[in-house]
Amino acid sequence: MDARPSRPFLALAGLLLAVALAACSAAPAATPTATPASPVPKATPATVAPTEVSTTAPTEAPLFPVELTDDEDGSATIPAEPTKIVSLTPAATETLFALGVGDRIVGKVEDFTPYPEAAAAIPDVARFGSVDVEKIVALGADLVIAGGNNFNPPESIKQLRDLGVPVLVVFAPDVAGAQQDIELIGRAVGRPDEAAAVNASIQQAFDDVATATAGQTPVRTYYELDASSGYFGPAPDYFGTEMIKIAGGEPLTSGTNGVYQIGAEQILAFDPEVVLLGDAAYGVTPEQVAARPGWDTLTAVKNGAVRPIDDVVVTRPGPRLAEGIRALAVAINPDLVLPSPTP
Amino acid sequence: MTTTPVPAGARRRAVIATPTRLGRAGWLAVAGVVSLMVVLVGGIVLGSVDLAPSTTVAILAKRFLGLDLGLAWAPTAEAIVIDLRLPRVLTAMVVGTGLAVAGATFQALLRNPLADPYVLGTASGAALGAAIAVLIPVRTLFLQFGLVNTLAFVGAILSVTVVYKLSRKSSLSPLTSLLLTGYAVGSLLSAGLAMAMYLSGTGLRQIFSFLLGGFDGTSWARLAVAAPLIIGGTIAILLRARALNGFLLGEEAAAHLGVDVKRERVILIALASLVTAAGVAVAGLIGFVGLVVPHFVRMLVGPNARLVLPISALFGASLLAAADVVARMLGGVPVGVVTAIIGAPFFLLLLRRARTGYEL
Repeated sequence: MDARPSRPFLALAGLLLAVALAACSAAPAATPTATPASPVPKATPATVAPTEVSTTAPTEAPLFPVELTDDEDGSATIPAEPTKIVSLTPAATETLFALGVGDRIVGKVEDFTPYPEAAAAIPDVARFGSVDVEKIVALGADLVIAGGNNFNPPESIKQLRDLGVPVLVVFAPDVAGAQQDIELIGRAVGRPDEAAAVNASIQQAFDDVATATAGQTPVRTYYELDASSGYFGPAPDYFGTEMIKIAGGEPLTSGTNGVYQIGAEQILAFDPEVVLLGDAAYGVTPEQVAARPGWDTLTAVKNGAVRPIDDVVVTRPGPRLAEGIRALAVAINPDLVLPSPTP
Repeated sequence: MTTTPVPAGARRRAVIATPTRLGRAGWLAVAGVVSLMVVLVGGIVLGSVDLAPSTTVAILAKRFLGLDLGLAWAPTAEAIVIDLRLPRVLTAMVVGTGLAVAGATFQALLRNPLADPYVLGTASGAALGAAIAVLIPVRTLFLQFGLVNTLAFVGAILSVTVVYKLSRKSSLSPLTSLLLTGYAVGSLLSAGLAMAMYLSGTGLRQIFSFLLGGFDGTSWARLAVAAPLIIGGTIAILLRARALNGFLLGEEAAAHLGVDVKRERVILIALASLVTAAGVAVAGLIGFVGLVVPHFVRMLVGPNARLVLPISALFGASLLAAADVVARMLGGVPVGVVTAIIGAPFFLLLLRRARTGYEL
């Protein structure tokens, strides 16, 4: 043992060499994930595309098998109409119900505000930041709709795919993206016509709001997400920011993408004409807002324009966006006259 | 009998480890192996989905021994046992081994009871690397690992390298300088981490789960990459136990004993950091295992690295795998939380009861 001092040193050198070799040999193998198979037609952002979606699905061609490319360039081959669906985002759950396949959902992500009511009875297979892959496999899921942009851990998504479960990753950065996701989910579950109809009703609501707010000066709006420690409102790239703009508001944002904290001074300097309490569900009231130091000087507080709003309806990128944009438009401007929604 | 020459190594071993200690160490090693087996079985049988133990046994027998025990099971059950639970338990064991051995190495090398595998900036380097990876909107796979794992590994290795190089420029004693440089670099990197977290938006959750550690993303392929690094590094450290024993007496004494202090120090730091970085890349930052397990073992068998290192490896593996089983049963609680909740009170109890006095 004492006579060979160089042996462990050699072992270390060998290890490092092994790492280097492994690194070289594996580099080409990692590329195939990047090949998009059949890209979903991308609608241009910001313009909420009119209902062209409905024309894309002439029902003569068989719906399955289908290979779909998701929002994060992953692909999923779905051999036959899925009957055991796992929904890992609340919006996907709502979408599946709106498409008439809610009864095929065998597992869902934990949701504190489940919608519709029937969704509450579906067993939870995932919660904030963690997915129970084991349970999903045991349920025999034949389609998993997962959330992108790190909503569900990418690790778990990879694990499911490695086990041969088709996974579609959806992430809607804006309203057009939400409509694309509804279309994508529609194709995945064999309900393209229903998806087109849902998108048409969303489009109708957005068109109605656009018509009603046309020509009006945007209303300075602070949309509060949380105020339990510091003030949190929309980031410029937040879904709700676009919604506020469409609904006739001029949103106060943090100014930096991905950052949600807004300084109290910024809020006072912005002098919102309307304060919308997306955190009303957590017990924040207009009275509390008025009592915040210095806030009594705000136009919104002086005019009594501090209003609670159902944040879930406004920012959950699913079928209820139609409801959300109308609620938001009326919250920003209560005098707005909107045609009654089409059923 | 007296005529047969006793090999030099055996004689020295006899001096360092008295017969009673060797006996105790033997029992402890047996206990370590037994607990490892128990945890292995538990980790395969228990999970969020109820599978009959007989089914899991039958699946394992079929897959590894080719035996048909006459039981039928759904293909999903086989996927759960073979592709999810088994690699997960084994990964936890491998990472636990690495962390415990790396912790024992740093404690002995730096002669500091508070040293853990992360002491030289590994943790903050890995965390910053992971956070940066979350901020980069690129989805690539490198050796089956995502960008988060890859940059965590790179960050850990880089920060140790920087700490080591910077520490050599100081006029302080090498150990003090290493520790203080590690602390300073770590603080700087932590500030970078805080900044990255602030900017991360929805990625915050992913950064956070990396900081707490866990085994959600494990697979055979990842284990196949990480295990050779960790196990190879661990074995290389075990082979240097003699040098580590020298360091325990102080660097000067070690030099007198014929240990090439400078060289051994670099090699041991490199090996322990490699093992730590590989573990962190697989499982995120899991605290406590690397700190507590070596102390626990040392309290029972004394400071001899020849005993402390292998026994720590056994118990590190069992502790982490057991903690992961608990974490799974609790529905995905971060495993780092579990190791601390199990480890801290147990360690306090041990501190009160400690009979074998030892100093680092």
